[in-house]
Amino acid sequence: MTGEMTPRAPRPLRARPAPWIGAVIALALAAAVVVLVLNLLADSLYFYNADEAVEQREEIGSKRFTLQGAPIGCSIVEGFNGDEPVVAFSLSFGGAAIDVVHHGDPAELFQPDVPVVLDGAWVAEAPLVEGFGGIANDGWHFSSDRMRVKHDNDYINDEEYDERSTLADDGADLTGVVCEA
Amino acid sequence: MSAGTAGTGTGAAGTGAAGTGTGTMSTGDRRDEAATTGSRGTRLLGLGVLVGVVALILLGFFAAPADDEQRDAVRMIFVHVPSAFLTYTALLTTAVGSVMWLWKRSRWWDIVAHSAAEMGVIFCGLTLFTGSVWGRPTWNTYWDWGDVRLVTTLILLLMMVGYLALRAAGGDENAVATRAAVVGLLAAVNLPIINRSVEWWANRTLHQKSSLTDGNLEDLTLFTLFVGIVVWALFFVWAMVHRFRIGWLEHQLASVELEAALVQRRAEASAGSAEEASL
Repeated sequence: MTGEMTPRAPRPLRARPAPWIGAVIALALAAAVVVLVLNLLADSLYFYNADEAVEQREEIGSKRFTLQGAPIGCSIVEGFNGDEPVVAFSLSFGGAAIDVVHHGDPAELFQPDVPVVLDGAWVAEAPLVEGFGGIANDGWHFSSDRMRVKHDNDYINDEEYDERSTLADDGADLTGVVCEA
Repeated sequence: MSAGTAGTGTGAAGTGAAGTGTGTMSTGDRRDEAATTGSRGTRLLGLGVLVGVVALILLGFFAAPADDEQRDAVRMIFVHVPSAFLTYTALLTTAVGSVMWLWKRSRWWDIVAHSAAEMGVIFCGLTLFTGSVWGRPTWNTYWDWGDVRLVTTLILLLMMVGYLALRAAGGDENAVATRAAVVGLLAAVNLPIINRSVEWWANRTLHQKSSLTDGNLEDLTLFTLFVGIVVWALFFVWAMVHRFRIGWLEHQLASVELEAALVQRRAEASAGSAEEASL
């Protein structure tokens, strides 16, 4: 009598997966879902350009939103509201200008004609910052408390180039032209 | 199972990878030879990477000019852009490897996909980290949840971490490879979205447009950037070769263990038969 020589099905070479691996997978998937859902639930419009914010001022009301535009150079005034630093300026995009009062220090690279992205809300009154006239002068201002600078993809040294004037993409047609108004 | 069942590319992997032949590493000599993933070629490549890193540091910190807006912060471009470029390269390699696994059932390509995914996680993490560090002085923030490119890149990282976790979960080798290939291909769908996001959401994103294709760079800045890409690419190849060889050796070791288990089973069966016969 001969023995059964047919090989058995091989046993799995790896042990059962450790429970923590399942937890890591679940965590990674959950994180991905949370990120997706948060972003989908949030306004899919990241920011309003200045012209859109002016157009939709009634709809937006006093809700917080994010605004983009290029600061108009000669409008920038820095000062204090009590102990709090403020910077007032007008910004433009797509032919519209908005007067802005930013509460807090401006961003490190804040400068004329370089677009900024601001979080804040409309306030139905003219800005009250000493020395600031405002370009829009329409009885409204945007009160901001968070500023990001939207730099472009020019990486140029001013020793060789000083001709660049960064526009807020294609829309900053008020940049630097209406300060005397 | 022998290494020959691993599908296409066995010869290349067996000889090039471990510096050994295509054997099953059953002898002590072969085990000794297989104990290293290095070779003359990889050592030269590693040396090239080290020299390249020194050249990149010198060019990046001392030769390339500062930007008139960002000043010295612009030097982060020499690490950030190459990292992003290699993230794309790694994930495309994973996608190709995944397709080849699903199509040809080639273990060689499966290991390529796995190795490239690990590289992809490293480079993607580096891209996010360097971008964040660069963002603080320039954008005035480390992170912005509203920016499409940032968020889609983070999703890519999470998907690739999920890919690796799936690989690590174990189970039937072929089933794991198939599931991972599907995840790898799903992750690759994100690549064109990330790459084109600054165009598709133009005027709706904080991230600037492509520095390489649309940017306006000083000659020396552009040259240093290309040096950075070449150095990172060399590092990618060096690390990929080593990681691939480790993967291939792991695969061979699993084959040897299976073969040993079969031999043991046969021996047990023979012993049982002899016992029965003696009774």
